[in-house]
Formats: sequence, structure tokens, C-alpha cells
Amino acid sequence: MKKANLTHWFSSYSTIIILTVPMLIMAGLTDLFAGSLLIRIVTALFVSMVVVLGMQVFMGNSGILAWAHVGFMGIGAYISSICSMTPTTKEIAIPQIYPFLLNLHFSFIPSLLVGALVAVVIAAIISYPLMRLSDTTAAISSFALLIIINTVLIHWDKVTNGPRTLFGIEELTTVWTAVFSAILILIFAYLFKESSLGLKLRASRDDYHAAQAMGINITQVRYYSFVIGAGIASFGGGLFAHYITSFTPSAFYMAETFNILTMLVVGGTMGVSGAVIGTIVVTFAREGLRAVENFINLNHVLPFDVVGLTEVLLATALILILIFRPEGILGGREFRWMPKKSAKKKIEEPASVQVNE
Amino acid sequence: MAEQLSIEHICKSFSGLQALDDVTIKLHQGEILGLIGPNGSGKTTLINIISGLLAATSGKVKVGNVEITKLKAYEVATHRISRTFQTIRLFRNLTVMENAEVAAVGVGISRKNARQKAMTALSEMKLESYADLLAGTLPYGLERRLEIARALAMDPVFLLLDEPGAGLNEEECNDLLVVLDHIRKKYDLGILIVEHDMRLIMRLCDRLHVLQSGKTIGEGTPEEIQENPAVIDAYLGESGKEN
Ligand SMILES: Nc1ncnc2c1ncn2[C@@H]1O[C@H](COP(=O)(O)OP(=O)(O)O)[C@@H](O)[C@H]1O
Ligand SMILES: [Mg+2]
Repeated sequence: MKKANLTHWFSSYSTIIILTVPMLIMAGLTDLFAGSLLIRIVTALFVSMVVVLGMQVFMGNSGILAWAHVGFMGIGAYISSICSMTPTTKEIAIPQIYPFLLNLHFSFIPSLLVGALVAVVIAAIISYPLMRLSDTTAAISSFALLIIINTVLIHWDKVTNGPRTLFGIEELTTVWTAVFSAILILIFAYLFKESSLGLKLRASRDDYHAAQAMGINITQVRYYSFVIGAGIASFGGGLFAHYITSFTPSAFYMAETFNILTMLVVGGTMGVSGAVIGTIVVTFAREGLRAVENFINLNHVLPFDVVGLTEVLLATALILILIFRPEGILGGREFRWMPKKSAKKKIEEPASVQVNE
Repeated sequence: MAEQLSIEHICKSFSGLQALDDVTIKLHQGEILGLIGPNGSGKTTLINIISGLLAATSGKVKVGNVEITKLKAYEVATHRISRTFQTIRLFRNLTVMENAEVAAVGVGISRKNARQKAMTALSEMKLESYADLLAGTLPYGLERRLEIARALAMDPVFLLLDEPGAGLNEEECNDLLVVLDHIRKKYDLGILIVEHDMRLIMRLCDRLHVLQSGKTIGEGTPEEIQENPAVIDAYLGESGKEN
């Protein structure tokens, strides 16, 4: 019995090990052998993974299309940058900044955490009414929320420098900070999914009415997970800001939303493994296509220049996946180490009914 | 102390259609009450109202002296009333185990005890060897059993079963009868069961309540109902003869 429990325990948590070990190896190899371009790509990959996982926490478990999370990513990017920049830089970068923000100055990690905290507070204040909605209305309302956040970022000159580029952020996100952040969030997302809250949320995703009849307050479980997902996306936004070092509000709008959604949907929204695989596949597909596009244009392979090939092919791939494998590459399954015995038992068992002799 | 679920003068209209008209039923802990009537007579609507998924137009639902008419479905569940669905509504992307576990967690049972409750419920329904399979991959007969196991994991006092035998073959129906009788005694449940299979109903139920077009047309023991002229006229007619 003891041993069976231990095996069961190891089997349930094996997903984390199976996913994180290759991530660490990837970061290590990149750091040791890769050129600066590849280091940038891999760092960006892990930053994206954080945001994708934040989206997975809400969207994957609740089944509700989440448009707003990239908006929260933007909030995290701006707030963490304001926290980490020196007052001198801020005076130049955000000339109209509020005096009380000017003098804030934190180191990197606290800045990220403040960014996440602000997003959590904002999400907690505004999102409750949205959580009553389902399906199309839920998707449209969170899209509206993305637009509101974007509009505020564009017009709040005293915080964001308005539509103009915010620059002068220190490049603090290394491949190692990115990979450790991704691993931390991955572990959190996995534990969340398996927690009571995650379990209730997944039940509400599969059947709204049955979940209610089983005692689940669906609005409430959605609300908690939305707020948590917003916090994670915002944390990812902070990492992004300290990777890219200058940006405008448009970095956290439609294009990025599409990018993050593609990663999650391609891998499979219902699992943490799907979020990880989707991020990796889409990142390398994008970089590969971009290289091909550049090659074609630089060498004049075609009599004309190709523009936007990468975006069109990625969007097409997304459509094809939605048609042929709507649940993504992994279909919601997690990588898991199965003890030999139970794996075998599963196959041997006939699917027929046998009751009560 | 034995509890009682009272349905008092429940009416329900759907934009003009009177689906339930002044229905009064009492269900005691430890008894099995059969709710029968032709298709469209309002049986599912009544279960939806008790479980809080639909609001009654008028009337009351009470557990003991506590009124639960206006409560939301998730609040009703915490009054130890659980149900199954006529059209199967499992959590298809959750494992068999998780289906039962989440039902227990849903009514506020701690995670550790929920696992235990779920395991017990699965073994009552002879599903323990399927625990790790996704519910969406189960064959039909097992889906029906998981619906019941999931409701049992909520540790109910009252169990509302909406056509649990639908689509089962004769042997499976007999098994169902044995299991239901067993769990009723073991957990001292009050079971309200909607079922079309008259042989199952007559053998299993202590009392019957007959609906037609939303109105009560008869109530009593299976023997009384079989002799009730209004019921024979309206409903038992052909299916009664088959016995
Ligand atoms: N949500 C609804 N909206 C409108 N009419 C409904 C709804 N649910 C049930 N009805 C109607 O109420 C009547 C009773 O239905 P139901 O309770 O499902 O009957 P039963 O379960 O006895 O077969 C039927 O005429 C049905 O068409
Ligand atoms: Mg019905």
C-alpha cells in the first residue's frame, strides 16, 4: 500500500520533471554554445511560455476564450519597468510621470512582483461581472477588456509615456531568469490544475449544469482563476519588458494575443504540457519561417519580395489544427510516467460491463 | 434523525406551457419513490426545480423545515441533495476518479476525504478498475453507472435519479435494481427515481407518484397504482399489460 501510494505520487508529479528537465538542458546548451541570436530566441521562448501558462490557467481549465490576458501582460510590463528604472532614466523616458512614481526604485524581482500584484488587484476589481458570462459573450467581453486596457495604456501619458516608445529599461531578463521563471510558473500551473479549485474549474468546463448540481459555484471558481491567470501574464509581461527593453502599448494588443493564443491552441489548451509544447513548436516554426522568408528575399529566389509569409503560414497552420485536431497536439494529455503494471492493466481490461454477480 | 424532502404545490410554466401544475410530493429518508408518467409530463422539470437548475413559478421545496426553493443549484447541493441526468452529463475530460472526486469536493468535503468518498462511491458502482480512464472514453452502460457514482460521492441524503435505466439491457437493469436497493439501505438514502421500465419500478419502489401533463393523477404503493383506474387509463394501459 505504502509503495503503491509512492508510485502514484511519483506518477502524478512526473509531468513536472518530464517537462522541466529538457527546458533546463535547452537553456544550458543555449547559454554554453549558442550565438547571441539564438540566445535571444530561446529567452523570448521562455518569456512567452510564462504568458501562455497564465492563459492556460484560466482558459485551459475554464474553457473560456481569454482575450484579455495580453492586456494584463502589458500592465505588468509597464509597472515593472517603472519600478526598475532609475529616477534619472524615468525623467527622460516618461517626461510627464507622476512624482510619486518617479522616485520608486526596486531591483528586478521585486519589480516583477509589484507588476504582477497590480494586475492581480486590477483583475480582482473588474473581472467578477464578466465571470457570469459563458461562451461567445464571455469571449467578446474579454476582448472588450483588452481594448479598454490598451486604450488606457495609450492615453495615460503620466504612467506609460502614451503611444510613444518607452525606452531605457535595463536588459535584466537572461535566459536563466526566463527559464527559471517558466519552470516556477509551470509547477504552479500544474499544481493549480490538480488542486480542488482547478478540478472544479475543469468540471465546469466539461459540463456547466452538472458542475452546478455538484455544488460548484462556477462564477467564483472562474473568478479566482482569471485573477491568478492575469497575475501570471503580468509577471510574464515584466520579464518581456526587461528582455525587449523598449516597447509601445501596441506590443500588448492583437498581434501578441494572436501569438500567445496560437501557442496555447497548437499545443492543446487543456494541459500544462500542451502549453509548453505549443510555445516551443510555434516559436521555432515562426523563426524557421522567418529565416526562409529572409532567405527568399535576400537571394531574390522569386521575382518579387514575399512579405508576411510567416504570419500567413502560421495562421493557416492554426486553422488546420483547429479543423483536424481541435484539442491541439497533445489533446489535453500530460506527459506522465506510468508504472508498468497499471499501464498493462489498462490494456487488458475489456471495456464491457460486468456487475454484481 | 430521519430527514424529509417536501415538494409543496410546485407550479412551473414555460412561456404559457404549464409543465407542472400544483405538484406535492414528500420523500422520506430511506424510501424509494418512483416518479412515473408519459414523456413530457414534467418529471425532469420537477427534478430540475428541486436541484435548483430551474426556478419554480410558485410553490416550495423544503428539506425538513428549511426552505431551499430560491437557492442556486450549487447551494442546493450542499443540502445533501444530489442528482443524475437523463441525458448523460459527465465531465468527459476528467478521469472516472476525478468525476467522483470533484463532486465530493464540490459540496465542501476536504480533498483527502473526497478521494476516499469517491473511491467508495466508485466501488459501490463497480467502477474502481476504471478509475484512471477518461470519462469520455467509457461505454454507455458505464457512463450511466458513473452518473450514479458521482452523485453518491456527494454523500447525499436524497438522491434524484432521472431515468438511470434508460438504454440499459435487461441484465444491466437488474444489476441497477440490486445496487439501488443496496445503497438505499446502506446509506439510508431517500431516492426519487424516474423510470419507464415498469417491472423495475414495481419491484424497486416503496411508493409511486404519477404525473400526466404536469398534474398528479395518482400516488400510492405499486399495488395501489396498478389498480388506480385513472393511472391505468392514462398511462399504464399498454405497458401494464406487458407485465
Ligand atoms: N427549458 C424548457 N423550455 C420550454 N419548455 C420546456 C423546457 N423544459 C421542458 N419543457 C417542456 O415541459 C414539458 C415537460 O418536460 P419534461 O419535464 O422534460 O418531461 P418528462 O421528463 O416527464 O419527459 C414538456 O412539454 C417540455 O417540452
Ligand atoms: Mg425527462
